[in-house]
Amino acid sequence: MGGSTTVRDGTLSHGDFVASAKALIEKWKEIDVDDALPDWRWKPCCKMGVPSEEEGYLALEGVYRNHGGSQVQSCSGNLHFYDYHVVYSFSYKVPVLYFQGHQSGGQLLTLDEIKEDLPSLSLKLLGESRWTFITREEHPHFSRPWFTLHPCGTSDCMKLLLEGMQDKDQQVRYLPAWLTVVGQAVGLKIPLGLHCNS
Amino acid sequence: MAAVAAEQKKVVVHFRSTGNAPQLKQSKFKIGGNEKFLKIIDFLRRQIHQDTVFLYVNSAFSPNPDELIIDLYNNFGIDGQLVVNYASSMAWG
Repeated sequence: MGGSTTVRDGTLSHGDFVASAKALIEKWKEIDVDDALPDWRWKPCCKMGVPSEEEGYLALEGVYRNHGGSQVQSCSGNLHFYDYHVVYSFSYKVPVLYFQGHQSGGQLLTLDEIKEDLPSLSLKLLGESRWTFITREEHPHFSRPWFTLHPCGTSDCMKLLLEGMQDKDQQVRYLPAWLTVVGQAVGLKIPLGLHCNS
Repeated sequence: MAAVAAEQKKVVVHFRSTGNAPQLKQSKFKIGGNEKFLKIIDFLRRQIHQDTVFLYVNSAFSPNPDELIIDLYNNFGIDGQLVVNYASSMAWG
C-alpha cells in the first residue's frame, strides 16, 4: 500500500496496532500458557451503536495472583485478580497498558497493594527506570481511572528492540516485543513461545 | 539422567552494546545453561558498573529474568551463541 507508515521511529500506526493485536490473540492460543493466564481478547467499541472491529482494545482479564506469595491457596480471600488492557494512543502512536487489580470480592486494590503482589525485580524496574512509572489516568474507553504505564518512553524503547528486524516483520511483532518490556514492570510474565516462529 | 544433569551445558553469550551503553573489552562469556537470565543481567551490571540496564535478545524481545538461559539459547541461539544486546536505560530516559 502506498501510504504505509514506517515503524522505524518506534511508533506503530493504528492499523498495524489492530493487525498486531489480532495476530497476538491467535498466537496466544497456540502456545503453551501458564494456567493463571487467560486468553487475550479483542474488545470492539461501539460506533453509532454498532460494534466496530477497527475501534477497540486488547484485553487480558482475570489474571490471578496469590497474595503474599504463598504456594498453598489456603484461603480464597488471598487471591487477587488483575485486568490488563492495551489501548492505542493516537497522540503518542504507541500502545499503552492500562491495568487494575481487585480482591476476590470485587474491591479495587490500591497501588500499594498492587506493588505488594509484584516480584522484587518489577519493583526495582519501576523504581529505577525512567520510562516505566505508574500513573493513574482515565481509561480511554471507560469513565474512571485505571493505573497505566506512561507511554512517553515507549517509542525510544521499541526503536531499540525492532532495529534488527526486517520491516515486514515489525508490524506483527511489535506487540509481543512491547509486552515483554511492560510485562516485566507489572509482573506479567510473557511466555517464551510467543516469540518463537511456528 | 544424573550424569546429564551433573554435566551442565555452557552457553556462549555474546554481548553487543547499543545506544550509549559502554563497550565491554571482552564481549563473549560462557555461562551455565541451567542458570536463569537474571544471572546474565547481574553479570552485565557488574561488568559495566551500571545498575539499570536494558537487555534484549536478537529476536527482539526482552527476556523475563527467570527464563532459563538454555531455553533462550535453544530457541534463539545463532551460530552456537546467544546474542544479548544491551543499552543503558538512560538511552530512553
